[in-house]
Amino acid sequence: MTATRAIARERTIQIAAVSGLVVLCALIVAAIDTVLISFVLAFVIHYLLAPAVNAAERSGLSRKLAVAALYVLFSTAFAAGVYLLLPAIARQLASLQTELPVLIEGTTQILARSERWVNSAMSGITDLDFSMDAGQRLASLSGRIVAGLPLFFSTLISVLILSPFFAFFMLLDGQAAVKKLMAMVPNHLFEPALTLLHRMNVQLGGFIRARLLEAGIVGAVVWLGLAAIGYPYSLLLGIFAGLMNLIPYLGPVIGALPALVIGTVIGVPGWKLWMVAGVYVTAQLVDMLFIIPLIVARIINLHPVAVVIVIIVGAQLAGIVGMVISIPVACVLKLFTTSIYEHLVVYQR
Amino acid sequence: MAASLWEHFFKPASGDPTVENVLRDNVLFQDLNARQIRFVRNIVHLRRYRQTERIFRQGETGAGMYIILKGKVAITVNGSTSEPGTAAGDIQIANLQPGDFFGELALVEDASRRSADARALEETELIGFFKPDLLEVLERNPAAGVRITMRLGQVLGRRLRQTTDRLAALEDEHRQKALKTVEPSS
Repeated sequence: MTATRAIARERTIQIAAVSGLVVLCALIVAAIDTVLISFVLAFVIHYLLAPAVNAAERSGLSRKLAVAALYVLFSTAFAAGVYLLLPAIARQLASLQTELPVLIEGTTQILARSERWVNSAMSGITDLDFSMDAGQRLASLSGRIVAGLPLFFSTLISVLILSPFFAFFMLLDGQAAVKKLMAMVPNHLFEPALTLLHRMNVQLGGFIRARLLEAGIVGAVVWLGLAAIGYPYSLLLGIFAGLMNLIPYLGPVIGALPALVIGTVIGVPGWKLWMVAGVYVTAQLVDMLFIIPLIVARIINLHPVAVVIVIIVGAQLAGIVGMVISIPVACVLKLFTTSIYEHLVVYQR
Repeated sequence: MAASLWEHFFKPASGDPTVENVLRDNVLFQDLNARQIRFVRNIVHLRRYRQTERIFRQGETGAGMYIILKGKVAITVNGSTSEPGTAAGDIQIANLQPGDFFGELALVEDASRRSADARALEETELIGFFKPDLLEVLERNPAAGVRITMRLGQVLGRRLRQTTDRLAALEDEHRQKALKTVEPSS
């Protein structure tokens, strides 16, 4: 009886210690925005590079050497990419800055025309009034963006330094750190906890790699497609489309809107607008016919209705970031609850 | 090199077995070289159990195997009769010593259910080697992973043959008994 009590007491202390440590770390990370963003990005880098590090280790390199070699290789590739693309991005950004007032004015007019059309088509049913201050709102938004740029760039520099630094140690010592944390888990929960951690690791890793590959391919198809038809801001629009593609279902629509709005405002001929639409449709077809069935569907085990609900909840709680991270968070929660249910109910029968 | 010197000249006074030694002596890891043993040493988990503490329960899902580093473990199954030193209704099927291992079926079976209870009979230290660990070895050091998997296959094959032999013997025994019951009436 005394032994049983001692075991129960030890288990309670262990559970409290592990939970306390995890919550404390999460609170510290969440309290500092730069650290939180750097940690999230470090996880993404870690999941992206882990298969390559493992492959290098398989070829006979030590873990340390494998991580260092890959860091050098990827840093060089990243620097080369930035070196090649930065001038084009800077040119397109400068041009966009010059044309921004015209684009805002044009967008306001489009909104006003749409408003009039909806109000006349549905007269007596609805009376939309969103174009009144749309111009001021867009102007103030762009003003806020410009004013926030110094802070954005200082955060960006901190994140760009911190996240590879964190990711380096995650790749090198991550498993040892997780093992130390796991050593504190009580014996009766150890096996389920280890299995859950492994499943989460596999699913999150697969999800992040698949989504980034998907975003990269969609972004590249849009960029090359728009550049091929001589459309302005092709690189910026490609990057935007790729980033927005991280949001399931709504992302592709949001990603295509700026190109169509810019085309309408600057008076691009109708046939060219159709070609622009064709580029975005092609990018989505490549995504839907090849990338999703071959890679993403295997990883996400969620019903489409559940996906939509999860995205809406994510948007309500944390806006665009919430929409992007809602699916992996939902997958992890699903794994967590399934594992607890299996441990407590199914496998105890 | 330094670690090896340390091990040879400054061994712990108690003479307790090291994790490396226990792994090296275990049938699953006996084909691994010193470097691969060190690699596996960094992957396995050390777990400590108090006297009478349950390691796992019959019927619950298992993630992998345990090798006894120190202490003793009783393996019991739920039955109708009770054995001395076990809970009422439990049959003790094995009393395992340092170096022995158990639960290896969970390394290969999906959602494997434990076929028996395991309980520490004294203060016990176990080396845990679980399915995620085996997958990690296969991913990062396939040469070591294949050697472990081959040995695991042999162990499971041997256990299967022993079970088949035992089943055949039981069937034979049953047939003999049936014949004996039929003979007096004929």
